[in-house]
Amino acid sequence: MELSLPVPAAAGRRPARADLESEVIALFDQLRSPLLRYVLSTGVRVQEAEEIVQEVFLSLYRHVRMGRSRSNLRGWIFRVAHNLALKQHESSRRQGGAAGGSPDLAERSCDPAPDPEEQMALRERRKRLLAVLRALPEQDQSCLYLRAEGLRYREIAHVLDMSLGSVSISLTRSLARLQRADGG
Amino acid sequence: MTLEDPHPSDEEMLLAADGELPPGRARTVNRHLAGCWTCRTRMSQLETTIRSFLEVHRSGLDPRLPSATGPRALLKAQLAELAAADRRGPVLRLFPLSFTRTVTICLSAAVLATAAAVLLTHSPRGDRAPPVIPEANLTPGATRPTTRADVCRSDPDQSLRVIPVSVRQKVFESYGLPHARPEAYEVDYLITPELGGSGDIRNLWPQPYSSTVWNAHVKDALEDRLHEMVCNGTLNLETAQHDIASNWIAAYKKYFHADTPITR
Repeated sequence: MELSLPVPAAAGRRPARADLESEVIALFDQLRSPLLRYVLSTGVRVQEAEEIVQEVFLSLYRHVRMGRSRSNLRGWIFRVAHNLALKQHESSRRQGGAAGGSPDLAERSCDPAPDPEEQMALRERRKRLLAVLRALPEQDQSCLYLRAEGLRYREIAHVLDMSLGSVSISLTRSLARLQRADGG
Repeated sequence: MTLEDPHPSDEEMLLAADGELPPGRARTVNRHLAGCWTCRTRMSQLETTIRSFLEVHRSGLDPRLPSATGPRALLKAQLAELAAADRRGPVLRLFPLSFTRTVTICLSAAVLATAAAVLLTHSPRGDRAPPVIPEANLTPGATRPTTRADVCRSDPDQSLRVIPVSVRQKVFESYGLPHARPEAYEVDYLITPELGGSGDIRNLWPQPYSSTVWNAHVKDALEDRLHEMVCNGTLNLETAQHDIASNWIAAYKKYFHADTPITR
């Protein structure tokens, strides 16, 4: 999917403000869940993640109203969110509070397998995968989580300030580790 | 598959699967895959790994996503406010430039406060004058059940420190400031949580950053002083709560023995 964002490509002319507002809302409808998931996956708490998402879309409104570049808007949105999440981490570290940490993903079994043994095996596999995920360097995790939300490589590179080549190397490396843990 | 057509690397397999290869190279890799069972198996293992990862990743996150209805309504309201502020004057038009950059690079409360203060002095607002002292009927002050021992513990409860956006918005509305720019005010506890104040809306009021004399920093100093006095036994907690709730400026004058804020 190559950025199917509902943004008019009319670069020269400034759309009316009401258009901008509904444009931002349309983007919110499209990207809120992916964005919230990504911010949560960085370990920010739900309440704070929601506030970050609000802030991102208010910034987006200001950004487009100023007539700034509309290319790669999704990359822009995730980049702002990424930076706000980093800031959130810093400030909760300074306050000495836990930043929420990793949620209890392992403990949650969502689809009950028919028999207990199978269920046990499934849980074990999940645990192994999670252990590998958490052991990955932060940047490798971010690459995976952004890719999981549908971002293309150049968007990921923009969000994390990396080269395109580093993105594909990172993803390849992480998937290889996950594959070994998955018993592949 | 020709003999000169070597197996693609793991990275190329992923690039091919993700549609990130240049068209020419993509054709070559696809031709190779069509002819090579080994690489097709590799490809299917890669897809399996992606599927496993996504499943584990999502199952931990999706159940935690709150409904979008509330946040969507809040965003709409805030956008409407931004647009309205935009129409109010050219001074405001200049503001978002620095603001966007600020948010993107670093959301520093200090910068926001200064910017908001500058902004407010330059543009008279349509809303009511911001209250330096909260209105007694709107913000009489509210406490949670607390003892002196609770407030003087070395590890105070920090859970009340963050006021949710939705509550902040309600505070603005109750003060007749539905169009308030959130950056221009600190939604403050009248009775600070450190003195047993609660997060109830009756204990919250929008304190403008723009008031230059009796501002939030002065009130912070009073709160520290009262907390110190309560904990060293020279003042009881109920009196401290009562005095700060009835008129914090008068309380400041009383406990600092000063008619104007002491600069530190």
